Amino acid sequence: MAHSDRSAAGRQLLSSAVIALAIVPLVMVGCAKETRVTRVDTGLVTDLSGRWNDTDSQQVAETMVKEALGYPWLDNYVKSKGHQPVVVVGTVLNRSHEHIDTQTFITDLERELTNSQKVTFVAGKGERDELREERREQAVHAREDTQRAAGKEVGADYMMKGNISTILDEADGTKAIFYQVDLELIDLESNVKTWYGQKKIKKVVERKRMLF
Amino acid sequence: MCLIGLYVAGCAHPSTRYALVEDSLRAGDPLRAVQIIEQSEREYGSESRVLYEMDRGMTLHVAGRYQESNTILDQAEDEVERLYTRRATTETKAFLTNDSKLPFEGDPYEQTMINVVKALNYAAMGNWTEALVEARKIDHRLNVLTDRTGPKEGYRDDAFARYLTGLLYEIAGDLNNAFIAYRKAYELYGVQSWAHVPLPPMLRADLLRMTAALHMTQEHAEYTRAFPDVVWRPYEETKELGQIVLVSHDGRSPRKEDRMIDVPVSLDALNLVLISNALGHSQRGTSPGRQATDSVLYGLNGHVVRVAIPTLVPQKSPIAYGDVTLTGPAGSFQAHTELMQNFTAVAERSLSDRLAGISVKAVARAVVKYSMAEGVGRGAQAAGGKDTGPLIGLIVGSLAKAWAVASEEADKRTWRTLPDEIQIARLWVPPGEYELRTRYIGRDAAHIGRDIVKIVTIRGGQTKLFSERVLP
Repeated sequence: MAHSDRSAAGRQLLSSAVIALAIVPLVMVGCAKETRVTRVDTGLVTDLSGRWNDTDSQQVAETMVKEALGYPWLDNYVKSKGHQPVVVVGTVLNRSHEHIDTQTFITDLERELTNSQKVTFVAGKGERDELREERREQAVHAREDTQRAAGKEVGADYMMKGNISTILDEADGTKAIFYQVDLELIDLESNVKTWYGQKKIKKVVERKRMLF
Repeated sequence: MCLIGLYVAGCAHPSTRYALVEDSLRAGDPLRAVQIIEQSEREYGSESRVLYEMDRGMTLHVAGRYQESNTILDQAEDEVERLYTRRATTETKAFLTNDSKLPFEGDPYEQTMINVVKALNYAAMGNWTEALVEARKIDHRLNVLTDRTGPKEGYRDDAFARYLTGLLYEIAGDLNNAFIAYRKAYELYGVQSWAHVPLPPMLRADLLRMTAALHMTQEHAEYTRAFPDVVWRPYEETKELGQIVLVSHDGRSPRKEDRMIDVPVSLDALNLVLISNALGHSQRGTSPGRQATDSVLYGLNGHVVRVAIPTLVPQKSPIAYGDVTLTGPAGSFQAHTELMQNFTAVAERSLSDRLAGISVKAVARAVVKYSMAEGVGRGAQAAGGKDTGPLIGLIVGSLAKAWAVASEEADKRTWRTLPDEIQIARLWVPPGEYELRTRYIGRDAAHIGRDIVKIVTIRGGQTKLFSERVLP
């Protein structure tokens, strides 16, 4: 009886040792380096959290500017005026559930407009203030033949402005995020809305309740 | 035995930390409070990361470091979202020790407050666009909470948070959403009697102002009938004036303590529990010394099962209201702060909603721990052989049972840097420079502390929000 007790206890000790040996590699794995950095192409789609990201900003700006410049208003303007329209980007209002840096999106829009070579793009309000300050300083400090004169700015014909809004729906760990970007091109002289564009993105984020 | 002592003593830090934070806030030195929290980062541990971020975010808010507060609270918000997914290993570990080993994600009202404090931070910086993002998040969070919780549960929505979103929408000129938020707040203040917050008088004026501005004649007539004596200012008039919003965070939110229930499973054990309770009567039930003594005695006896349940200790604020005066060239304007949120009542209701579940889990855990300790003792006895087995079994079994008692602890974590109450005052004044003075009045009508004075310049159509922390 005592012998069987001792052998049972021995088996218990052996199994404890096996468990301990099994735990050691797990602990060592736990101590392994957690951070890994990999360089990826900037065009690669990286949806990590489901939030508005650089891919959304780039894709929406590209698609919407292409769409805006593909409509007949552009040809009509060039035919009637004989030159490209001048466009400025105004405010893009964040009406979403996320803190979105709308300046990044505005920059994407400006890049697409400039690179299209179909419109003349002029600097927005914030940049203009800086440029005017520079001209004022030139008038005082720069050599006369190198000074840039005031009052020679090119006025914009159209302003592109809009907003980003979201609709959220969520239940049992699944969240549906619906982004809607509305952009419009407004004639600065007549306030006529020349073009109205809309781009929608829908994302579904699913989270597990228990991880084994 | 030393390990048991250390295990118990290790739990004494939070009370000391919060006492130091409160002393700093009382002395008008919120930066010191921030430092204390930051220096305690390691003490919080990885399980209480969210709590650390909540405390740090709140003290940074009080210190006026709004941008930093938002950065930290962003992290807390992300972490809470990540904690939706539970890990089986963590759940098992907590089941075998105690619930404070679970990652802290906060009660739903604490999670809502993350967005509320962020909204206040943006508003205090005058960044209304970003404050509105937080308002939308609050709206979404509360909608999800209402869908998720049963009608019997108390905290399914938040009247104060709804009111704050209404205020932000109104400031941004989104009157329709402002009205919807005010109306929700009005309905909630009416039905949540457990929250102990009467309908704030300013909300009546807000509803009349919004319904008139939106030409909602039927609703306006209903509210006029419901609040016949309320004097209100039309929205068109308020647009020409400057608005001062004062958000006052008064007192301390409740803390949690252990309530130990010792269940004897033999007559000897019953006597021991009775003697221990009689001897320990003069001591606080959850003091580390008392816990260590109990662990040793119960471990040696081997027939006591301990269950720990959290209990709430209110720390009610003596402040009745704040008397706000704006004095400038255009005259003197006065208003009282009005109670909008009672965190003690919300925390009490939140705990009572969850208490049945906590208790069942605590009892199950105590039984499992007791059974495991019994098993360990018997295993050690068998391994020790005929001669030394009984002694080894007794020692190992007693230690295992002492550990089972010592490790039993309720989850006492709660966002303790929140106030006891939130009160708000709103004043519309002609543009100009003013002295903004707040004098706090106690429930006994006596002045509390010193007046808080600021110089404020306000333009027509502009709103300025100020946040004050008052700890008498």
